[in-house]
Amino acid sequence: MATLNVLTICGSLRKGSYNAMVQRALPALAPEGMSLKPAPSFADFPIYNADIQNSTGFPAPVNALADAIRAADGVIFCTPEYNFSTPGGLKNAIDWVSRLPNQPFAGKPVALQSASPGPVGGARVQYDLRKSMMFLDAFTLNKPEIFIGNCAGKFDEKSGELKDETTRGLIKQQLAAFAVFIARIAPKG
Amino acid sequence: MADNQLDVRVICGSLRKGSYNAALARTLPSLAPAGMALRPAPSFDKFPLYNFDIQHSTGFPAEVNAWADAIRAADGIIIVSPEYNWSIPGALKNAIDWVSRMKDQPFKDKPVLLQSAAGGILGGSRMQYHLRMSLTSVDAIMFGRPEVIVTFAAQKFDEKTLELKDQAAIDLIKQQLAGFEKFARRQIAKG
Repeated sequence: MATLNVLTICGSLRKGSYNAMVQRALPALAPEGMSLKPAPSFADFPIYNADIQNSTGFPAPVNALADAIRAADGVIFCTPEYNFSTPGGLKNAIDWVSRLPNQPFAGKPVALQSASPGPVGGARVQYDLRKSMMFLDAFTLNKPEIFIGNCAGKFDEKSGELKDETTRGLIKQQLAAFAVFIARIAPKG
Repeated sequence: MADNQLDVRVICGSLRKGSYNAALARTLPSLAPAGMALRPAPSFDKFPLYNFDIQHSTGFPAEVNAWADAIRAADGIIIVSPEYNWSIPGALKNAIDWVSRMKDQPFKDKPVLLQSAAGGILGGSRMQYHLRMSLTSVDAIMFGRPEVIVTFAAQKFDEKTLELKDQAAIDLIKQQLAGFEKFARRQIAKG
């Protein structure tokens, strides 16, 4: 079976991000035949303005992210929730690539994960992202959902390693389900 | 500004020059009741993408402080925004995310009114409902009705001047702004 190449996008830019820790934990939890790698960063995207797009075109980092999404068999978001919704930085990245011809999320299998120190674990960001992904014609995996609530105690304080066994088990299940989902939605030719 | 006049800042969610929402925002002062003075908020176009490490190392950028100060000083806020990908434009959300981290969080207890214009049949309503939810997290006080959702925007603004020419929309906005003045006065007990 051909390897599934899955791109992971972290919604937080800070170095100590819990969601970046989740992102780093994924390769070890992936089923056989799934390869995960981090997407090019959106940290240097300008704030979206159609006038930029129309005068100087799409910035190089925007094209780099879009190319990586297009080339991937699936995309996983690991993101915090900011103010009951999608972090502006991540939404700005989605807004940029949404304007490209050959819009990269179209037909793309997507899975969502979120970690937060609070009890809800970022559920609200996921339902907002699902909505945006729907508009972009992505196919978002339904279940299992990964909400890592009260996350501070679930990572090793020094190494940042995800050490909570329940969470690790759930993520394994989700990644396995995502492999099946990709095979159904967008089988490799 | 006359005594007892409410100082209301208008935030536009789009940065492009030809934006229908910017055109709508420019229309508002002429439709506002006498008791309310409307002026644009400082722009958020120079805000960096939010990163806690920036906040933690070099503090809040000057542009973020300017925006927050304007919101704090205002008696009310009107947000006029397009919908991007069925939700809040990332740039506007980024601005809200920045100021939400401040100690004297500027949206707290602030009366806020929403408007949107869009080319389609839903007129940006999905953005409005999401923004309502997000502004709940910063303890803003959201105005209820009437809602201003300008659908099929291309037909309602003058093609050349971008002036709002749709009488039904104009009347509804007048009604909404009058309602917002009462609402804001009740919330802030000013006059």
